[in-house]
Amino acid sequence: MFKKISIVLIVLLLTTVHAFAKTTTYGKGVHIQEETAVSELLDHPEKYLGKQVKISGMVIEVCAKRGCWIYIASDRPYEKIQVKVTDGEIVFPMSASGRKAAVEGIVDELNFSKEDLIRYRRHLAEEKGEPFDPASVKEGKKIIRLIGTGAEIEE
Amino acid sequence: MKWRKWNNIIHRDLGYLCFGLTIIYVVSGVAVNHIADWNPTYKISRETTTITPPASNLSGNDLVRSILQQLNETGEVKDSFRPDPETIQIFVVNNTVTANLQTGSVVQEKTGKRTLLYQVNFLHLNHPKKLWTWFADIYALSLGILAITGLFVLRGKKGIKGRGGWLVTAGFILPLFFLWLYS
Repeated sequence: MFKKISIVLIVLLLTTVHAFAKTTTYGKGVHIQEETAVSELLDHPEKYLGKQVKISGMVIEVCAKRGCWIYIASDRPYEKIQVKVTDGEIVFPMSASGRKAAVEGIVDELNFSKEDLIRYRRHLAEEKGEPFDPASVKEGKKIIRLIGTGAEIEE
Repeated sequence: MKWRKWNNIIHRDLGYLCFGLTIIYVVSGVAVNHIADWNPTYKISRETTTITPPASNLSGNDLVRSILQQLNETGEVKDSFRPDPETIQIFVVNNTVTANLQTGSVVQEKTGKRTLLYQVNFLHLNHPKKLWTWFADIYALSLGILAITGLFVLRGKKGIKGRGGWLVTAGFILPLFFLWLYS
């Protein structure tokens, strides 16, 4: 009898473990209950600038050299948002790309002049080891991003 | 002198104890120092190929399957993303496939951890955090003790009052020189 109960308990335990996708916590983790849609942040950044928010979505790109930023896919097609973290404080692994993530951070705005944007894009391209054509930048741009404080990423 | 005997014992044994971690920090330190020129943690290769553009009525899993079949990519598919109407990114374990659906041009970015370097950088750059932070602090403190006890290992001309003293002074002057040079 005891043996049978033990087997049932072990099976139940294993099933329960498999029922939840394993997640890894980065930095301070995620604590905010209410989620803000990425599209909402991009449409109305002025409402959220300087505020701590939680977003979620698929990780579509990871900083290959330092793991110091990721891009999260928006809930709206063809859109994404960058999550920047302090170098070394949080290090995102390359294996995070294509995984679902919940991220918490402070909404930030970068106002790039054309020259700043060329420098920024060149730096990103160098990090990725990709070619960059400065002529592809026609004008300055405002970029909304999150200064990440914590994240939970499915494995 | 009794204190020198203990000084040398501490220096010797702490040196043995710190050897392993020092080598880890040496290897990782040199690797990370040149991060501007290479990726010290991951091996990334890019392959460009062309496939037959998938039929325009395909979407979702069918579209993903049709592209991966042409590339003979059989790895586990994590998910996919459309950065723009013409492009699809397919995330396969250790491979990100970016395909242009109009032209059929494909870039595969294959990623792998660098053997040994991934592990030493993981420790050196304190990715584990938690208990490792304290362990690394103790190691740093031990290096300080090693440096101080090292000053007093020898007596006489080759000790801190002789040649050792000059070398210690040089050890301070060199970083100060570079600080002056680059500030």
